[in-house]
Amino acid sequence: MTHTQKRIITNRIVMLLSTLSAIAGIGFLFWILSILVMNGVDALSWDIFTQEGAPPGYEESGLKHALIGQLMIVGVATIFGVPIGILAGTYLSEYAGKSKLGETIRDISDIMMSAPSIVIGAFVYAIVVAPMGHFSGWAGSIALTIIMIPIILRTTDDMLHLVSSTLREAAYALGAPKYKVITQVVYRGAKTGILTGVLLGVARVAGETAPLLFTSFNDNFLNTDMREPMASLTVTMYNYATSPYEDWQKLGWAAAFILSMFILSLNILGRLFLLKKKGN
Amino acid sequence: MATIIDVNEEKALEVKDFEFQYSGADETSIKKLTMPIAKNSITALIGPSGCGKTTLLRSFNRMHDLYPGNKYSGEIIFKDRNILTKNEDLINLRIQIGMIFQKPTAFPMSIFDNVAYGMRLQGIKNRTELQDRVEKALKDAAIFKEVKDRLKQDANGLSGGQQQRLCIARAIAVEPEVLLFDEPTSALDPISTSGIEELVVELREKVSIIIVTHNMQQAARVSDYTGFMYLGELIELGRTEELFVTPKEKLTEEYITGKFG
Repeated sequence: MTHTQKRIITNRIVMLLSTLSAIAGIGFLFWILSILVMNGVDALSWDIFTQEGAPPGYEESGLKHALIGQLMIVGVATIFGVPIGILAGTYLSEYAGKSKLGETIRDISDIMMSAPSIVIGAFVYAIVVAPMGHFSGWAGSIALTIIMIPIILRTTDDMLHLVSSTLREAAYALGAPKYKVITQVVYRGAKTGILTGVLLGVARVAGETAPLLFTSFNDNFLNTDMREPMASLTVTMYNYATSPYEDWQKLGWAAAFILSMFILSLNILGRLFLLKKKGN
Repeated sequence: MATIIDVNEEKALEVKDFEFQYSGADETSIKKLTMPIAKNSITALIGPSGCGKTTLLRSFNRMHDLYPGNKYSGEIIFKDRNILTKNEDLINLRIQIGMIFQKPTAFPMSIFDNVAYGMRLQGIKNRTELQDRVEKALKDAAIFKEVKDRLKQDANGLSGGQQQRLCIARAIAVEPEVLLFDEPTSALDPISTSGIEELVVELREKVSIIIVTHNMQQAARVSDYTGFMYLGELIELGRTEELFVTPKEKLTEEYITGKFG
């Protein structure tokens, strides 16, 4: 066998192995999605959106309570998390710069991002649930807010950094005060990037289960009082999927499908914005 | 020794014993510099890279204050006051002394909003007044014809040369007394460059202009006065035709004949 033949064969083996690995990696994603779609679509019905939870065996049962609970918990977390995250990112990029305090905040937020979410659930349990004496929707929102802030803070910081310093200088050169330079010029330049960060942050917390188990817990019926325990898609899915009743398991699949589609579309939307930004 | 001619006209700015040191630098970037800037004329600053010409230019609107730790001393006199003092109102100063940058700096907003930006900062809200002044600024910057049908469109859709003229329109819309140009054509093609040069010459009627340029031909073409800087010092300031034809300083002669630089 000549050297050339050897080289060609080695090349083919490496190419084959890496292609197979890539297919295996992405294959799992499609496997998961196809199982979800098969079981989820099958479990979908109008009742899912109009009926509340019911004991096993009842015909009229749905996920209305979990859908509304989920929207409220994530919605409130978004209302608090987005402005705090954006303002904190603004502080880092526009005011703190490379100062010691700025770098410390960046490091801490990186650590927060990789902290196990169940730890944050336990933390909120200790400081909110325990003193209140019971689980509540608020506690769930607080836990999700804490998880969301570092994600939005970091993307905002990064995206504001990408705005060129000459653009800032040009605004200052026209006599703009700093807050106007930030709100009127820098934010505009980083608009799509920040929006992407927000979408990805919301998508991330929408799929959290562990912190909600400790905080908002669950409710089998519709509850819109944030002071009381509240159902969420993730916890409902966990409860139903691990139950021995077939009709509950079916609802679990429906919850998994709806949640996945929601998060998938947020992610795709986020990526589309990024693509559009690059296109400019 | 430097040769600095006296400026006969009224002075727009006067630099006296100005020294500047960047944050963290061991040496001063500008050393004891004294220089008059004539009113309603064009003064070009030339010199090799790192000679301090851009540093000097950015001192006139206190751009260096955006970054902490820079040190300066001496005086820059503008309208009978030293603008280097602590209580100088920088917002007001920058309205009166505008700046055009090396790269076009169109804001991410519409063409109209770009030109109106400075006026809106000053609190002008009246729509007719804004419209009139935006139109006038665009006309004065010789770009109105090209953009009049798309004032609402994003300014980043314009070409580099158009964006630079838009930036000039934005700067003159607030009617400054001095305009600082920091190598305004170095990112542009030859045709856009000559357009900007013509514009600069026309603007002299209304404003005093200081222009930093790497291009000696450009300095010779547009300016009334030229200052040659080297290693943080002003070596020679003279009327442009005299400085380029009969330079008084040996260093100036060597630089304009291409012996170094």
